[in-house]
Amino acid sequence: MLKTGYYGEFGGVYAPETLMPALEELEAGFLKFKSDLALRSELNETLQKYAGRPTPIYLAENLSRNWGARIILKREDLLHGGAHKTNNAIGQGLLAKSLGKTRLIAETGAGQHGVATAMIGALLGMQTEIYMGEVDIERQHANVLRMKLLGATVHAVKTGGRTLKDAINAAMRDWIATVKETHYLIGTAAGPHPFPEIVKYFQSVIGSESREQMLEDYNTLPDYVIACVGGGSNAIGMFSGFIDDQSVRLIGVEPAGKGVNTNEHGAVLAKGTNGCLHGMMSKVLQDEDGQIHETYSIAAGLDYPSVGPEHAFLQSSARADYTSISDDEAIDAYHEVSRSEGIIPALESSHALAYAKKLAGQQGGKTILVNVSGRGDKDLEQVMNYVK
Amino acid sequence: MSNRYEDVFGPLRKNGGRAFIPYMMLGYPDRKLCLQAIQMMIDAGAHALELGLAFSDPLADGPAIQAAAAATIESGFKTKDALELIADIRNANPSIPITLMCYYNSVLAHGLSQFCSRANGAGVDGLLVVDLPPQEAKPLAEQCKRSGLEQIFIISPLTTEVRMKSISEYAGGFLYVVSRLGITGEEERYDSGLADLISKAKQSMSLPTVVGFGVSSPEQAERMFAIGADGVITGSKIINLMNEVKNGKATLNDLKAFVQSMLSAGLAKLV
Repeated sequence: MLKTGYYGEFGGVYAPETLMPALEELEAGFLKFKSDLALRSELNETLQKYAGRPTPIYLAENLSRNWGARIILKREDLLHGGAHKTNNAIGQGLLAKSLGKTRLIAETGAGQHGVATAMIGALLGMQTEIYMGEVDIERQHANVLRMKLLGATVHAVKTGGRTLKDAINAAMRDWIATVKETHYLIGTAAGPHPFPEIVKYFQSVIGSESREQMLEDYNTLPDYVIACVGGGSNAIGMFSGFIDDQSVRLIGVEPAGKGVNTNEHGAVLAKGTNGCLHGMMSKVLQDEDGQIHETYSIAAGLDYPSVGPEHAFLQSSARADYTSISDDEAIDAYHEVSRSEGIIPALESSHALAYAKKLAGQQGGKTILVNVSGRGDKDLEQVMNYVK
Repeated sequence: MSNRYEDVFGPLRKNGGRAFIPYMMLGYPDRKLCLQAIQMMIDAGAHALELGLAFSDPLADGPAIQAAAAATIESGFKTKDALELIADIRNANPSIPITLMCYYNSVLAHGLSQFCSRANGAGVDGLLVVDLPPQEAKPLAEQCKRSGLEQIFIISPLTTEVRMKSISEYAGGFLYVVSRLGITGEEERYDSGLADLISKAKQSMSLPTVVGFGVSSPEQAERMFAIGADGVITGSKIINLMNEVKNGKATLNDLKAFVQSMLSAGLAKLV
């Protein structure tokens, strides 16, 4: 490996030996990709003409009036596929192709990353297989159908808590056996180096675009930038655009589920301790013996017991703040944003929106940029059946 | 203290013998049965032990070991209990090499220094941390050294000579050669480059080579010896046998017969 992949004390490469040569190959391929003009222009062209970039930022006037601050939404929900996941899937798909891989595998929680990978698999003519926890298959059924329609095979993961963590384990096991022809298209900015760096690179378009648009449309930078954090890919992509702007406060919102003082939440940065899971050193929800806890959130895409290593670092270095939002609050935001703006946000993004509302109440008159990481059609059934 | 790995592999290699190393998940299916099974395998002539510490997310393991790990954790069996179990085995068997196989988070949770000194105190000879490649191995290596533990490493059919070199900086005891790309399990699907891998490993390191993953019959063991392996490890097959013992479909005598069959496969008894 050329780099160690550390962000402070977090990150690194904690992978079985079988995967190490593939990770080395991936790192080399990624470095080549970044300096290859033809590949980069293919990426940009695909992002624009196929996926619909740039996505707009939008001043949500009704929410601004109701909440008492200037609320600006980054509309990743408008991206092809319905979430920011497409940025990374296109990038890694092209990277995999440049490495000569013929098969893509991916894990998915909410199903958005699975859908994005299935789209790119179809586009590039690569065999695509998606690992998804049985619990998530049930609660995100519409996305399962979309993946199948797009030609992907969906494997139900029946081990552990049968959610995102277990889907990652299953995808890793597949990859260990098939590394020669397969690329593991990981969906979040987590895992062993070089994955966190790769995913951030492909998601940083969210932040760099947003910054430019803020200056162009409003001639100012936001006071606050808010994004939801599960593994943390949309947040790291968004934050990366503003990380050098010390005046901009970065806030990540984790899922508090039924409350951070219950056993049913996924607030890793609030409640986790240092540990090693899925190939990286980061914050982890675990017991005193190092066994990983089952997590819970109504938002399948946030239901994960660790977090991308750079978020752990941004927290420890106090460059970003992390807070949490409960199921109830996220559901309220889902409804309120739908009714006030005619925009149905994903339950994941609803966590960020719910916190924006809280913050607006405390910090009236400020400019708050919220990443609407995905659209919420996939969550309709779950929201309609939700009982407080 | 003498090195138990050398004490076993040294004479074996001199006499052209080969080692059989059974794997067992510590505390599975329960403490008593686990201890009985391990003692029976030692009495039957196993040359060394590879004992697994249950982890909630064993991403290099196949279904048999995953399920055993989940059941063991569910039963409330902790790292402390696992080390006590090892201490019992050690007290009854002063000379058998014991390798503790685990994932890094289990080590981190107790602190590297404390984990190593406790493992050594229980009678462990070497640690095989599945998800700890050589570039991250230094902090643990320092603690292993202080506690007199060897660090055991895995090489795979994709491990390059450059990587072997960095592994050789830390590797002790023996070299665990995986027979194929993939996770643990009984399925036979050996890599075509396995013979080449073993010979490269022997050139690059002086350690004995022991092949695992999908080696679960005497015939398969013979094939590994024919291409130069100094020993074999069997895991999932033994876990599956233990499941049958638990369900009353087999007895510990069947396990004994299995170990004996593996030992008779051209394996010289320990002199």
